[in-house]
Amino acid sequence: MGSGTWSTNVYDAAASYRKATGASAFAHSDSGARQVHEALDPLNAFRESRDGDDHPESLAIAVLFDVTGSMRTVPRALQTKLPNLLGLLQRKGYATDPQILFGAIGDATCDRAPLQVGQFESDNRMDDDLGRILLEGGGGGQMTESYELALYFMARHTATDCWEKRRKRGYLFLMGDELAYAKVKKAEVKRIIGDELKADIPIAEIIRELTERWDVYYIIPAGTFHGDDPKLTEFWRGLLGQNVLFLDDLDAVCETVALTVGLAEDAIDLHEGLDHLAEVGSTAGAAVSRALSPLDRGAVARTSAPLDLGDDLPRGTTRL
Amino acid sequence: MNHGHTIVVDLGYGDAGKGTVVDWLCAREGVRPVRAVVRFNGGAQAAHNVVTPDGRHHTFAQFGSGTFTPGVRTHLSRFMMVDPLALASEADHLRALGVPDALERLTVEGDALLTTPYHRAANRARELARGAARHGSCGMGVGETARYALAHPDAPRVADCLSPSRLRRALTALRTRVLEEFPLAEVPPVEDCVAAFTGFASAVEIVGDPYLRRLLAEGPVVFEGAQGVLLDELHGFHPYTTWSTTTFANALELLDGADAFRLGVVRKYATRHGHGPFVTEDPDLAFPEPHNTAHVWQGAFRRGHFDAIALRYALRASGGADALAVTHADAPDVHLCTAYKGFDTLPVHADLTAQESLTRALLTERPVYTGKVSSPADAAAALGLPLVLESHGPAHTDKKALSLI
Repeated sequence: MGSGTWSTNVYDAAASYRKATGASAFAHSDSGARQVHEALDPLNAFRESRDGDDHPESLAIAVLFDVTGSMRTVPRALQTKLPNLLGLLQRKGYATDPQILFGAIGDATCDRAPLQVGQFESDNRMDDDLGRILLEGGGGGQMTESYELALYFMARHTATDCWEKRRKRGYLFLMGDELAYAKVKKAEVKRIIGDELKADIPIAEIIRELTERWDVYYIIPAGTFHGDDPKLTEFWRGLLGQNVLFLDDLDAVCETVALTVGLAEDAIDLHEGLDHLAEVGSTAGAAVSRALSPLDRGAVARTSAPLDLGDDLPRGTTRL
Repeated sequence: MNHGHTIVVDLGYGDAGKGTVVDWLCAREGVRPVRAVVRFNGGAQAAHNVVTPDGRHHTFAQFGSGTFTPGVRTHLSRFMMVDPLALASEADHLRALGVPDALERLTVEGDALLTTPYHRAANRARELARGAARHGSCGMGVGETARYALAHPDAPRVADCLSPSRLRRALTALRTRVLEEFPLAEVPPVEDCVAAFTGFASAVEIVGDPYLRRLLAEGPVVFEGAQGVLLDELHGFHPYTTWSTTTFANALELLDGADAFRLGVVRKYATRHGHGPFVTEDPDLAFPEPHNTAHVWQGAFRRGHFDAIALRYALRASGGADALAVTHADAPDVHLCTAYKGFDTLPVHADLTAQESLTRALLTERPVYTGKVSSPADAAAALGLPLVLESHGPAHTDKKALSLI
């Protein structure tokens, strides 16, 4: 029974937590790890989303988020929210047999972990991959991260039954607040993914290749360092058209992803989706509605054809 | 008996010894080791006393009472009201007792409500305003946490600690509302709370909904109740109740169909902390009480004879238990109450108005004593439950298991 045995002094508690270095959601990161967990290492790796007996209609969904410093507390918040994604997709039949892959993006020019990619999973095992993600917190300070490496990996190192058997594209969600480098650099690909390329690949070209098999969305969370910079929106709109979404409430990340899939799968329209959210008692409706209004049925980009990108891309600075 | 999940619930007014029973369940050898203790109601006002065989004593408030056993985790479920400030000092004390990794063995569900200094200030202001008509609140702000969340959907939750801006918004709204109602309440600045609460978020593992399902699949889990069934928000004697569901219900909901053994805990005699009906109360029962003293917010610690009427009512109100554990088996004999002057059984309602009139009747009821409780077996027989455990002292080595539990 109650007696308030323990002190509730706010200053002592703050000091105590500063001293304590408990494990956290990112156990791998917070255990002092300094390198990519082997399960997430993209070197010579290949990721497959395949049909199975209990999931005959597999649909590949990949969520990759920026884990560098400019994202502030966003990666940790995502880690607690994303485990709910699978249930949300299944409950309302937005996707029959979703298979989810989680990954993280850093900066190949200066980070320990430029790219981390989990496996496609049909059950909660994808949460384990989330826990293995190394949080960088560094980044180059240039407003540029190695998204192009992630795009390259997803384009050339994944295979999905939804495409091969049913000609259905998977969904790729990138979350971050930075630009990509203008080219996929062959030296980085060699070092980080292991492929021998003859030449660098311009980012517009890898996007074209990627969008043959993937619907690609870029989500910009509020509260990040560069989230409000118009340069950021212009850059990604130039590559992905209207598939650039703003998320002003991180709590709504799963709902945003789930409803985007539901809309594109023609399972629902935005109105129905928001009703579903209200039914399950989610308070994310308003934020999701704002994020997704450009994608309401009839407006969803079915081809994701990138705009013709000349040579006017911002250039990342290559540091030695 | 099972070697799976167990739910431990106090059938009376609290203080029966749930902590010592949970400690024993986790410390046992020769059975599948318990993976975690899950809290499923109440908050930091719980005070579950555990003493180790080598004499170390800790009052478990938010950490599970199995924490002295290395490797046993604590999970604070979405039904728990989490107080990060009290949690820090509790972790410090455990560290001082030679348990350095309590925080590392802790997971907290992001949806759980937060108890803050603002709730505490409102709780105390409200209780002071009641004067003599006090309900026996603990002054920890737990009831206020529940009350505020019912009225305000933007009540701060554990997951908010991951986002300073969201946390700031929720705490500012809360502080403003408390000061509107109680202009003289002493409350710290929001920024000071933000610093402590974000520290909490970086020191503990905040998890989502699927975590518990995995935990239940990994090994036996013990669900540790707080308070007692006779204080239940719906079935307790209104208004002398707590703002939480103290029956097995929340635990069963978290188990989501998984099997569990429902273990009721009682003392050999009756106790009550604070105000409210207590038909078998007897001020002459001066048994020693090392860990429960009169409390500035709750009032006196009261003792009485074994009340089979109230406990049978608790069993009916909570849908029954599978077995009984009896603590304080070494206490002197007490009377067995099998009826009140005006009641042979107490009616179960789920309606506060009916509960209130029941409370009024109980405040003046007199007990009818028909025998003695001299052993735990007498207590179990009076309640018609199999007796599986008796406790003769504070440590897990003072327990005697009467069947495979």
